[in-house]
Formats: sequence, structure tokens, C-alpha cells
Amino acid sequence: MIYQRDTMAYDKPLPVIDNESRPFWDGCREGKLMLQHCAECGAWVFYPRVLCTACHSERLEWEEASGEGVIHSFTICHRPAGPAFAGETPYVVALIDLKEGPRMMSNIVGADPESVRIGQSVRVTFEKATEEVTLPKFKVIS
Amino acid sequence: MPEERTYLIERNGLTLKNELDASSPKFLRDRYAIAGVGETTYSRGSGRSTRALGTWAVRNAMRDAGMEPGDIDGMLSYSGNDSTFAPFIAGDLGIRLNFYMDVHGGGSSTEALVGIAMGVIEAGLCKTVAIFRAMNGYSEVRIGGTGARSAPPVTGDQLHSRAYGWQAAGQMFSQTFMRHMYDYGTTPEQVAMVKVAHSHHASNNPKALYPKRVTVEDVLNSRFIVKPLHLMDCCIESDNATAIVVTRAERARDCPRPLVLIRSVAGRVCKPRSDMHYQHGPISTVAGHYAKDILWPNAGLGPGEVDITGSYDAFTFTTLLQLEDYGFCKKGDGGGYVSDGTIQLGGKRPNNTSGGHLCEGYTHGMSMVIENVRQLRGEADDSCPAGQDGKRQHTFDYSEGGCRQVKDAEITANLGWAIPGTGSAMVLRKG
Repeated sequence: MIYQRDTMAYDKPLPVIDNESRPFWDGCREGKLMLQHCAECGAWVFYPRVLCTACHSERLEWEEASGEGVIHSFTICHRPAGPAFAGETPYVVALIDLKEGPRMMSNIVGADPESVRIGQSVRVTFEKATEEVTLPKFKVIS
Repeated sequence: MPEERTYLIERNGLTLKNELDASSPKFLRDRYAIAGVGETTYSRGSGRSTRALGTWAVRNAMRDAGMEPGDIDGMLSYSGNDSTFAPFIAGDLGIRLNFYMDVHGGGSSTEALVGIAMGVIEAGLCKTVAIFRAMNGYSEVRIGGTGARSAPPVTGDQLHSRAYGWQAAGQMFSQTFMRHMYDYGTTPEQVAMVKVAHSHHASNNPKALYPKRVTVEDVLNSRFIVKPLHLMDCCIESDNATAIVVTRAERARDCPRPLVLIRSVAGRVCKPRSDMHYQHGPISTVAGHYAKDILWPNAGLGPGEVDITGSYDAFTFTTLLQLEDYGFCKKGDGGGYVSDGTIQLGGKRPNNTSGGHLCEGYTHGMSMVIENVRQLRGEADDSCPAGQDGKRQHTFDYSEGGCRQVKDAEITANLGWAIPGTGSAMVLRKG
């Protein structure tokens, strides 16, 4: 599912997409969480890189991940990261241990920030920011 | 794992069994000294350029070392593009440099640069190095990081963090504390005691920007910045410059101030993955866990022999994490260690006796080194009266406005912190 933010113009910092991460962002636009998977050693890699971080192989292939994970830790931001986030406070920045292994940063959305806990299961959801950029966010499912 | 190779290294009559084995008796132990320390006033609104501040601080450290411009021929500085480069400061002071380097970085730089200074002197590149940090952390580039620091485009590794509203140090680090509370049952009340202790120390420091003593309730009743961090869990932002002078022990013996020797240094030691949020394993373990294995064997002593600690208190909880991972208490027991009176003046092992970054001023780590040097000299600059010889007569009465000299301080440890995944450290001893 991809949802469109209801704000008129997206004024938060946007990723300047580079060649290493382009397939990741392309996936987000299609509602898929794409991770790199090593064809030689089987390691999952995030964020995107040019060589496998485990075995240095060049054979990193993009595969769709489950989109599921567990909250490793989080914080509730009462002060925004710059003026563009002022309307969002309090918002949750979380570290999510993805089912495939890598740890990923994102926001927990659709929940009262005070109800968020370490260990909760989460699933990816996608938030369209601009025509080029869609951000993966996470919702609590347990 | 491949078999570890062994190299025999001969130096100064000592044989080291392996260049990578930190337990070898290192030949630089006690061979270098911090001969001079100096700083500017800590302020919120210096009205001066970083060039002016840096010049003052280096001049003060040079005078403290009893040195002339011709005695110093090396210079190191660190910054995040918010300072003045070493050659400008040197030129303004009439110092001709044989070596200089300005590096990127904040916390954890001081101790690492001390190591570099020792290395380049040892390699014959220069003879004495001044290290400085000059910053208008309040009036120019706010260290809190939501102003000018949030402006650059989101590229590189930040592609996968800044878009989520993760920018300032508090936002970057607080997940680490949240996880520590989850793993070990640490409480906000316990870490608030770090601010309480440091505020008591600051109340005996005429230089401190925030000399008012606070209570646990004051901390917990201050507003949330990034939960679980309250306003008073966060360090202050200030304008200031700090400087130290590193030279050979033999040279330092000629200097007017009591000798302070560098026992051991660990510089910018990293966790297996130090890119913050994706780092290996539990994030409640920080770089000190690895740095301790270099720091203590090289120093030839352990945390139990340290009289004063200087933690990097960017936040209350960063003190707890460092003390714990450097082995001052058992992993997970940091909450008890920082709240049972140990770290307060008069306690078993006071921490940040100047008030540190939480209360004195924010200098990216160097002020805690300066404080420990003064402590080891027996020259804490508190309000105790001067005797007929001009030396301060310390009363060791730690009540408000009183003494902050630790009695018979022999060994100190500075624990630098850049991020949870990267840290530096240094052990000093009275010469």
C-alpha cells in the first residue's frame, strides 16, 4: 500500500538518489521493500552498497524483502529535526531489525507515540513524498 | 579465522611480541606529557571569531607551559567546518610550523589527536604540538544541529536516516539509552543523577556557564527534547576555545607547572560497524567496550586504580554508557554507579569535576582533559584562597561555592565519545 501525504508540498529533507540506492527507491515507489541479497554467501545487505559487506562479492542482487521486522529501539522526538518537521512532533524514529537481518531506520506511523515499545512487530507501509521519492515507514502489527 | 602472525619489534631496549597486541608493555608509556592547558571564557555569544578564540586559547596554553612561540612547531585542530585552521592561529601567534593537520570531528578528537601528536613527535616531524578546538557552538553553528546543520542535501549514508527526522545528536543517540533501559532496567531518575553531580561540581567552578545546583526533580520536570531525554539531560551549547600542549616528558620537566604524564591513549576506536543506527549487535554497548582493551593494557593499570574520570557528557546517559563499558562497573550496573554518590566530589571516583559539558561549557571534549590536568597538578581553579606562595590552599570542603580539588589525585581517565559506535580515551598520571 502506498499512501499520499495530505500536505500540499513536501518540504522535509529528501534523499538525493544515487546509483547504489536507486533500485531501493524504485522499489519504494512500487510499494516494495527491496534489499540487496548476496548470491554467493546469502547475506542480506542494507543500506545499499557496491560489495557484499560479509564476503565482498560483487554479486549483490535486489530482492523484495518481507517488509516485516521488530523494533530494536526508538525515540520520541519532541523537538523537530529542523523547521520542516515542526508539524510532526511528537514523532517516533525507530530502529527496526528486519526479518532478513539488517537493521533499518524509519518512522513508526499510525500509532500513539507513547504506545510504541521495543520488541513490537512492525510491517512496512509506504508514504509518497514526491513523484520521485516514496519513503518506507512502519506500522505496529502486534 | 586466519592464524595471527607474530612480529618481534625492538624499540628502546624493549621487545614487543606483537604490534597488534595491546597487552605488550608499550614503549611510549609515560614518555609524553601535557605541559600546558588553556581556554577562553565559556560564553553564549562570544562576539568573537573562532580565529580570535583559538588564538587566545593557544596563547593561554603556551603561557601555561612557560613556552615561547619558537618552542611550538606542531599544531592540530578538529572541527566540523565551524572553526579556523591551525596555520592561521599559528601565524597570529608567531609560531612557525613544521607540522600541522586540521581534522574533521567533534567528541573523541582530543584524545585521538594527543595520540597523533605523540606519534609525529616520535617520528621526528616536530618537537611540541599545540592542539586546539575553537567554536561558536551557540552563536554560529548550533551543536544541537537543527539549524545550519540541517540544511545540506540528504546524500550518502544519510539517505537512509535524515529523511525520517533524525538529525541532532539527541535524536541520534537517544535510541541507545532507550535500549539500555529495556536491557538493564536503567531509569531516568538514575541518569538524572549525572546532571545533579556535575551541577554540584560546576557550583565550585567560577568558569562554569551553569553553576546552579539542580535536583533529580529539576531534571525530570524539564521538558522532553527527545524522549527519554529531558532538556536537562542534554549538554549546553556555548562559544569557546580550548587548547593543550603535548611534548616529550623530558621537555615537560623543564616547564613551570607540575608534570602530568600521558600514560595511555586510545583513539577513535570503533564498534564493528560504527555507522550509528545500523551498527552491530545491541546498541546499548558502545565503543568503550573495545577501546578498554587498548586503554588499560597500555596504561598498565585498570579502572580500579583511577581517581577521577572525565566522561563525555553530551548527555547524562552517555556518561553512564562510557563508565560501564570501560569497566568502572559491571555491564548493566551503570545506573547504580552514577547514582550512588561514587561520581560526586567527595565520592570514590568523581566524574567531570568541572561540571563538564552539561554545566561548564561545550568544547567537544577538550575541557575535561584540561580539568584532569589541573586536578593532577593539584591546581583545580576553584574559589579556594591563595596562600603566601601564590598557590591555592585547597580546603577539600565541597559545599557550594567551595573547593573542587580531589585530594591526592594520581591517575585520571578521559573517555571521549563521538557517537555510540566511536570513542577515544586517555589515562594521565601525576609525574
